[in-house]
Amino acid sequence: MAAKIRQPGWYRALAFSILGVLVCLALSTGLRAAFAVEPVYDSTSVLQISLLMVPLFFLGGIGCFDYWLRWASGRTVVDDHADHGAKSWRDYFKVNTDHKVIGIQYICVSFVFMFIGGLMAMLVRAELAAPGRQFVDPNTFNGIFSIHATLLIFLFVIPIFAGIANYVLPLMIGAPDMAFPRLNALSFWMLPVAGVMMLLSFLAPGGSFAAGWTAYAPLSVDAPIGQAFFTIAVQFAGASSIATALNFLVTIITMRAPGMTFFRMPLLVWANFSTSLLVVIATPFIAASQFMVILDRALGFNFFNPANGGDVLMYQHVFWFYSHPAVYIMMLPGFGIISEVLATRARKPIFGYRMMAFSLLAIVLLGFTVWAHHMFVSGMSDWIRIPMMITTAIIAIPTGIKIFSWVATLWRGVLKMDTPMLWAVGFIAMFTLGGISGVMLAMVPLDIHVSDTYFIVAHIHYVLFGGSLFTIFAGIYFWFPKMTGRMFNERLGKIHFWLTFIFFNVTFAPMHLIGVQGMPRRVSDYAEQFATWNMIISIASFVVGLSSLIFLYNMIVSWRTGPEAGPNPWNSLTIEWQVSSPPPIFNFDAIPSVVGGPYEYGVPGAVHAVFADSKPEPVAVGASEAD
Amino acid sequence: MLLAISVVASVVGIIFMLALDWFPEQGSSIAAPIDTFWDVLVVVSVPIFVAVTAMMLFSIWRWRQRPGEEDLDGPPIHGSTKLEVIWTIVPTVIIAALTTYAAILLVDIQSAPAKGTRVVNVNGVQFAWDFETKTAAGPVKSAKLYLPINEPVKFNVRSADVIHDFWVPAFRLKVDAVPGITTTYNLTPTKLGTFEVVCAELCGLGHAYMRQTVTVLTAERYATVMAGLAKQAGAPAPAAGASTDAVGKQMFVAGNPATGATACGACHTMKAAGTTATTGPNLDEILQADDAAGIMEMIVNPNKEIVAGYSKGIMPANYATTMTKPQLDALVKYIDQSVHGEG
Amino acid sequence: MEAASIPSPASHDGDSHHGPPIANQSSRVNSEVLGILLFIISEMMLFGAFFAAYFFIRVVSADDWPPGEGLPVAVAAINAAILLSSSVTMHWTDVSAKRDNQLAMRAGIVTTFLLGSTFLFIQINEYLHLGFTPKTSASASVFYGLTGLHGAHVVIGLLLLWMSAVRIFKGRVGPKNHRGLEVPGIYWHFVDAMWIVVFTTIYVL
Ligand code: HEA
Ligand code: HEA
Ligand code: HEC
Ligand code: CUA
Ligand SMILES: [Cu+2]
Repeated sequence: MAAKIRQPGWYRALAFSILGVLVCLALSTGLRAAFAVEPVYDSTSVLQISLLMVPLFFLGGIGCFDYWLRWASGRTVVDDHADHGAKSWRDYFKVNTDHKVIGIQYICVSFVFMFIGGLMAMLVRAELAAPGRQFVDPNTFNGIFSIHATLLIFLFVIPIFAGIANYVLPLMIGAPDMAFPRLNALSFWMLPVAGVMMLLSFLAPGGSFAAGWTAYAPLSVDAPIGQAFFTIAVQFAGASSIATALNFLVTIITMRAPGMTFFRMPLLVWANFSTSLLVVIATPFIAASQFMVILDRALGFNFFNPANGGDVLMYQHVFWFYSHPAVYIMMLPGFGIISEVLATRARKPIFGYRMMAFSLLAIVLLGFTVWAHHMFVSGMSDWIRIPMMITTAIIAIPTGIKIFSWVATLWRGVLKMDTPMLWAVGFIAMFTLGGISGVMLAMVPLDIHVSDTYFIVAHIHYVLFGGSLFTIFAGIYFWFPKMTGRMFNERLGKIHFWLTFIFFNVTFAPMHLIGVQGMPRRVSDYAEQFATWNMIISIASFVVGLSSLIFLYNMIVSWRTGPEAGPNPWNSLTIEWQVSSPPPIFNFDAIPSVVGGPYEYGVPGAVHAVFADSKPEPVAVGASEAD
Repeated sequence: MLLAISVVASVVGIIFMLALDWFPEQGSSIAAPIDTFWDVLVVVSVPIFVAVTAMMLFSIWRWRQRPGEEDLDGPPIHGSTKLEVIWTIVPTVIIAALTTYAAILLVDIQSAPAKGTRVVNVNGVQFAWDFETKTAAGPVKSAKLYLPINEPVKFNVRSADVIHDFWVPAFRLKVDAVPGITTTYNLTPTKLGTFEVVCAELCGLGHAYMRQTVTVLTAERYATVMAGLAKQAGAPAPAAGASTDAVGKQMFVAGNPATGATACGACHTMKAAGTTATTGPNLDEILQADDAAGIMEMIVNPNKEIVAGYSKGIMPANYATTMTKPQLDALVKYIDQSVHGEG
Repeated sequence: MEAASIPSPASHDGDSHHGPPIANQSSRVNSEVLGILLFIISEMMLFGAFFAAYFFIRVVSADDWPPGEGLPVAVAAINAAILLSSSVTMHWTDVSAKRDNQLAMRAGIVTTFLLGSTFLFIQINEYLHLGFTPKTSASASVFYGLTGLHGAHVVIGLLLLWMSAVRIFKGRVGPKNHRGLEVPGIYWHFVDAMWIVVFTTIYVL
């Protein structure tokens, strides 16, 4: 037992966490006694300090800091790679520095939170199935949709993109691992911490946080203690995001294989490069906004207290300066996935590769100039509205370039309409719709009427579900054979797609209508006139929920018993497919050399990368000729 | 042929979209232009969506992989500068046109009201609105908004606690009530009738119930209604020994603004007071069997018993502190008389 | 942070694959240095958000500025000089590491650390004598927010310097092995530079 507690792992994590709670208790009471604050023991104060500190103790216990502490104490540190790779499923529950293991950890944890977040959506729809009160009281309802959105944004869409990229990006650029493997592990382990903290808020006195995922002050300042769980959990999720983004940027800049110039990088790499720039620059803003809230809440600061000169609208400016770019953080990696899937399954080079890369960068730049479009009716100065409307609408241009280029990539291809491709094509249609409703929202006179209505809820889900989630499904199906070495069940994949596609539309399309007709969002009760549509929406949404169980079943069963996939089932040119499935422990025996573009389909004998040693297993299209 | 199909689909799509009954009734001067703007947006958007999906479906239909084509690749087309220029320019033009239109419309909507406009102060508190205005008969404060038809009005919107949002769907008017600042909105009601006032910004557990009404009246009716309300408001404070009836009614329909006591009428229907809100139960119905002492207990201690189908914590629990003893007594007497048929 | 990449090949028993292949260096920039530079961009944005708060509260909401009865500008200016001189000694330490001058390196890191601690001490002392707290007004909150955020960065910087000092005193830093000093050093320079901005906006403007 004592030996187990000394080893990094769950036992030590538990012991450290308990220790952490005690330390926080001592810290709180000690400080209060020192400054003569009555009462000396205050449970809220202990709780808030614990929320901040105990996760750090936990991370230390599980083993995220061991190496650095050894280094800091001046001892020799050897990299023995003993913690690389996973030999059994147990290894996925330990701190591991292998980017492929971390990728899988990310993806699985994110899906766990997707199912919890989705279950919350089911509860929301159950409550809204009819006017009046069905199951939950208004406060619980507010909590449920807040946690729904928070989990799906901060613990599903953002991290799962990081997870997919963690797995495939180093392979794609011919790197043996990420630039900072230990930082990578830390990034991952902060996620479950954040997610569990958010869920624990249900147990907080006064209920879970219930101010929406936007947590506007001063509502979030006055709210019961459950709000602090959001405020602090977001710090951990944000720190995780920033650390991963740094890691991606450094990896992409310093670890590309020889010959992998920027314009030979697959578009997924470009997409993650752009996203990481966004994360590094924008995420500190949400951290700051939540720091200010916690300072106001816990220490009586006055940032958002107008009675003492505070500025309520400042919260929204700071928040949206992150959270608008955040919507592109939730979309650009998906754009990358779609480019990979389309080029491979349409057997054609991506149409206008360079413009695809430049439009990503354009979206990054423009993304920082539009935040106030969430504030058209917030009471901010009128003169900001027209400039923000224009910059917002301009984003349709680079996005349009991407959409049209994808469509042109399909044109005259040889389209293999299998599951990943269906999701990709479905994505293009649904995202176009969601994007167009976004442009409508950008038009201030219309937004004045539809802001904070179900029209917004419709837009959100068309871009996040029809957009991000569709690309995630495309990507998961696409790289499933690479990650597991096995093929998924194609039939179930198609059923999953069609059920989701149809009932997704039945769920969210009518929301445009009831929104314009006047149904506000974030309400547990609504006027009689919206009853019929809400019933239809709720029923359809349950089918969407059930269809995701098909996906779950398919993934689990295929992972265990699916047919062998082989190294390159899609006949793709990019590097990750030129190694075995799943790839060997350090990806390559020797770093490959890149000799051409990533999507030279249809060019006879074209190769993207060549391997110095001619091993028989990684056979690529045409790659053998170069040996 | 692809073009023909797209045009037909676009026309069908546009007709379908325009045929849907999107907006609530047009209750104000700015409603019609906004609705027209929506139609324009629909006409522009549908063809864009149709173009993208039609091209995609066509490709899938025409070039999907057929048996025997498993090893085939498409032609290595890497791009076309001409096409790329076209699909950059066309959206740019569309965007330029739409934003210009929207900007002009917005300036119209924002433009200052004519001189001598009526000013209404809209105050949001958790979870009700109250409305203050100066009338010929004196200042009036009520839980229900009354407006004269065809007369420009300027709203000054404020909040006492957290952010709320003053939304009248029929007016296409929406603006946040932000603590610490006053936001404004101008428009002219153009239709007689009663419309919903909705709080559109999440403001806590009672947010869904922060729904009241606005009634647009003819100028004459407006003057009489306002005169009636002003007379009550003008009634002296209870300390000065005024008629308890008037105080009771005032508490019910207007609350006690000095202490932040929300008007009962903001949430409850009671025939005698003329209030019609549905956030809380209809008092005429639920209080039939209660006496004055019981009513007092329910007001002071609303969370002790909860009326079936409603939620705890929505009715303010602070009336014991925000109303003086005489005010509460007057209120209870007034309610007691009203629901038991003496009102 | 060190030795993140380019490890020597180590063999695994029972594993058919060997240590990782040596990654290709596709950029002249060292990965740790690039990493800390990007992190500093992130940190600047964090400060940026607090400067936004400053702007909104001082300019848009026009809360009284400065909070309280004037800020002790002279003390803060001396303090700024102290912090800036620590940047100089930091640089000296760095240069000494590259020249393998162990003694100068030790002297340098110790003075840097002491100067940094002095800054922190004076700052805390200033807090105790200001006569207002964050609860006083929004301006006061901004004052404590910005200087406190900077103070927290000084603490982190000192922690990193401490780690470097430990390694220096154990003789683990030299011309070929100076990333563990260089990276904390870059961060320390950033902390100092940030103070100039904070000092200017808070005390001078
Ligand atoms: C993945 C996430 C994502 C993405 C990608 C987007 C993309 C866009 N969003 Fe969206 N948005 C959200 C997620 C997202 N949004 C969320 C979560 C909210 C609500 C937050 C909350 O309050 O809770 C929101 C809210 C929101 C608002 C605020 C509404 C309000 O609260 O009042 C606005 C207003 O301008 C807006 C606009 C846009 C625009 C213009 C785009 C553009 O980027 C879209 C560009 C794409 C296209 C236009 C389609 C393809 C282009 C063509 C085919 C070319 C031709 C097209 C034209 C010429 C029109 N969004
Ligand atoms: C990636 C983001 C994402 C995703 C995927 C979803 C998915 C869904 N969302 Fe969500 N949603 C948001 C992001 C997202 N949402 C955001 C940002 C908001 C704004 C919140 C705010 O205002 O603060 C929001 C708000 C929101 C609302 C408005 C709440 C309100 O304003 O009052 C509604 C209402 O219908 C809703 C519904 C749904 C539904 C039915 C799904 C479905 O697609 C979910 C599908 C379900 C699953 C995948 C669950 C898995 C299935 C099971 C566990 C099996 C159980 C099955 C049964 C019981 C039938 N969402
Ligand atoms: C913000 C809305 C709101 C306001 C303002 C409000 N009520 Fe209520 N009231 C409710 C709701 C909701 C209920 C039902 C829940 C409950 O029983 O507490 C209710 C219940 C009641 C009941 C039934 C009591 C019980 O506890 O069973 C009475 C009587 C009542 N209200 C009277 C009043 C009076 C008198 C006022 C003004 C002084 C008032 N209300 C103000 C929302 C409100
Ligand atoms: Cu007031 Cu919502
Ligand atoms: Cu946005």
